[in-house]
Amino acid sequence: MNQPQARSSREVVTPMIPGELGSEREIVHFPGGLAGFENCRSFVLLSEEAAAFQCLSAVDGPPASFLVIDPRRVLPTYRYAVSRTDLERLRATSENGLLWLAIVLVEADGTIAANLRAPIVINPEAMVGVQIIPQDCVYPLRHVIVPAAGG
Amino acid sequence: MLVFTRRRGEAIIIGGSIEIRVLRVGRDGVRLGVAAPASIPVHRQEVHAQISEANRAAVDPDAADPARRAAMEAALKALLP
Repeated sequence: MNQPQARSSREVVTPMIPGELGSEREIVHFPGGLAGFENCRSFVLLSEEAAAFQCLSAVDGPPASFLVIDPRRVLPTYRYAVSRTDLERLRATSENGLLWLAIVLVEADGTIAANLRAPIVINPEAMVGVQIIPQDCVYPLRHVIVPAAGG
Repeated sequence: MLVFTRRRGEAIIIGGSIEIRVLRVGRDGVRLGVAAPASIPVHRQEVHAQISEANRAAVDPDAADPARRAAMEAALKALLP
């Protein structure tokens, strides 16, 4: 099991696969970056044990950090077919074992919403990730997880 | 913008490794085939624009702060019955 390792008194980094802190194995390579962030090719995933919200942060290209959450935690029925092209990009032979992350948006009034339309998929064995841009828009771009207080 | 006129079956090659080929020309549009390396994502322009905009709006410089995530976790838990 992954053990959280303290990097500082405040930040706990859980490596995605067991390995030394700061080693290359922590970096997830995105060959095509993210939409609008094509020059960000290397990301780290920060999370706490059992936490729903994680942080996907670019270590190259323009500064880009994103709050992310497993879309299946938001919508238990969430189901997305990964195209053969994306499977090849992920260097995966099947969808088994892939990690799913939906980008989270915190709006000005405190509403927390997830982008279920264009999820990020990571192959932890190859440490490669892609953002899926769908042919058909089945899921919403903005799915409210936590409504604004009082709303 | 470079402008080409291509007939069905003809192609354009970009950067030596990206090929766009006209597969069919019809009343309801032009069918294009694109071959590109995995490092070059290829998408419909309007869909890419929509997702790019959503990504840009979601950039959060404080996302790396565990206290911030803990606060959101609490907000999520508060929703549970």
